[in-house]
Amino acid sequence: MAGFGGLLVAIAFLTAGDDAFAWNRVWTNILHNSVFFLGISFLSMFFYAAFTIAYAGWFVVFKRVMEALTAFIPIGGAFIIIVAVGAALGWNDIYYWMTEGLTDPAAENFDKIINSKKGFLNIPYFLASTIGFVVVWTFFANKFRSVSKSEDTATPGSIETYTKLKKWTAAFLPIGASTSAFAIWYWIMSIEPHWYSTMFAWYATGSLMSCAIAVVMLSLYYLQSRGYYEEVLLTHYHDLGKFLFAFSIFWTYLWFSQYMLIWYANIGEETIHFQNQLKDFPILFYGMLILNFALPLIILMRNTNKYRKGSIIFMCIIILFGHWLDFFLMIKQGVYYELGHAAHAAEGGGHHELGFMYGYNLPGLIEIGIMIGFLGLFIYSFFNALGKANLIPNNDPYLEESLHHQGGPLGPELDVHH
Amino acid sequence: MATDTQNVLYGLYDDEQELIKAVKEAREADLDIMDVYTPFPVHGLDPVLGLSESRLHQAGFVYGALGTMTAFGVMTWVFTRDWPIIFGGKPYFSAPSFIPITFELTVLFASIGMVVTFYIINGLGPGVTNKYIDPRVTDDKFCIAFDVSDSSDDEQNNLKSFFSNSGASEVNLKTL
Repeated sequence: MAGFGGLLVAIAFLTAGDDAFAWNRVWTNILHNSVFFLGISFLSMFFYAAFTIAYAGWFVVFKRVMEALTAFIPIGGAFIIIVAVGAALGWNDIYYWMTEGLTDPAAENFDKIINSKKGFLNIPYFLASTIGFVVVWTFFANKFRSVSKSEDTATPGSIETYTKLKKWTAAFLPIGASTSAFAIWYWIMSIEPHWYSTMFAWYATGSLMSCAIAVVMLSLYYLQSRGYYEEVLLTHYHDLGKFLFAFSIFWTYLWFSQYMLIWYANIGEETIHFQNQLKDFPILFYGMLILNFALPLIILMRNTNKYRKGSIIFMCIIILFGHWLDFFLMIKQGVYYELGHAAHAAEGGGHHELGFMYGYNLPGLIEIGIMIGFLGLFIYSFFNALGKANLIPNNDPYLEESLHHQGGPLGPELDVHH
Repeated sequence: MATDTQNVLYGLYDDEQELIKAVKEAREADLDIMDVYTPFPVHGLDPVLGLSESRLHQAGFVYGALGTMTAFGVMTWVFTRDWPIIFGGKPYFSAPSFIPITFELTVLFASIGMVVTFYIINGLGPGVTNKYIDPRVTDDKFCIAFDVSDSSDDEQNNLKSFFSNSGASEVNLKTL
């Protein structure tokens, strides 16, 4: 799958031609998918750290799945670094604020708003943060995995490694929480440098939280169908299902709050973001709400649907695709307009409609192909990491609790062992 | 409850696991349990007792939907028909600004409706004096109660032997 994706990237680059839109389409796809899948890894790590620090025992039986998901961080991070360095060197036009002259009062294209943000939006900070964040996250991901793996060979009954893991997760949480916000501002929000939203980091996090839970559930179902993880009970799925439902609603709450505050406040430079979305991206704008809010609300609200295999697998795929579209819209919208402005300026100004463009207003085949390529890499890194440790952490002090996990009431007709 | 008073034979258990075991045995022996009293919610007791899922949340959904419609309907009527005012250059019918209040009223209707329904169904409420089996079931005892108003002596002895076999720490007869 990864090879297929790589091939598509190559074909896409070769056939892109001279058109700035076609060329940037491929670059934005790489940024989009690497941020999306890296985000899933990151949030999986974040959940892992939060559960560990909160003395949670229920997830211990499948904690190796969450650890293995973090293995994609260096890979996705490498792609983001390539895009970032490429942007700084002028290989792509994703980041409009990198254009020369915007912060030079003497220049013709001097931009007062971007000039006032240059303390944050400048290339050295951007590159240093991108590389620094990826390195720090990779360090923590590797640390969690190695400490947790050393648990397997520890003396039974000893909590030494567990305490060690707890210290590392406690160190990660504040660092991860603050760096991820800066990362998402740099990588995605700065694509539209005139627009800003104080809720943006939360909004993107909410999106990725549902995705991380969906990926964990799908992995567990897949591994169970292959005869592993017989110990995972319906109550585990039920609790994960509750998370899936809750974070879908949480995402909607943030989406709506961001929309409503900007809509209500009526500040031109902010409102134009949503005005443009409604005007040029109506399918994504409304479709995303159906996929990420309406369907989870209707399907996951019922108690028993939260652990019914069919409903959950269907919902997980819908949610993953819906949030993939969410990130697609976040990234493509900015690039679409900034490139459009640049094209207009080159033509000598004037106003005309940009119109419909595959890869911008809607994902086309290249988008899907590159997504499949990244998915292949993601799955490969996941199984590769999963195979390097015991599936069940035998010496974890909370393992017994997890093996007998009692969640909320299941439907009366069902036993926890399915 | 055909008569005003009931004779109740009840056994007290010290532990919730013993209680669940005893309830299972009673159900297997086809004994007609009147009720079970516990000081706290016991996990897994409902399926053992054969109770069906509570329908309270369905009532809650109805109340919630009622709240949604009330809030959205009233605001729409007020701001488009009854007293249209322009706020901040927005149209009269500006749905996004109605959402927060719609949400609040949904929660309010659902919660109050469910509490009131719960009270009515269970015969609770201000000024109601409730009969109780034994005050210790609110502290540390778990109780299984049988209605023996119409039972013969044989049947009562059968129940008593069930209690002693299943490990009840105390068996009493009480008229409510």
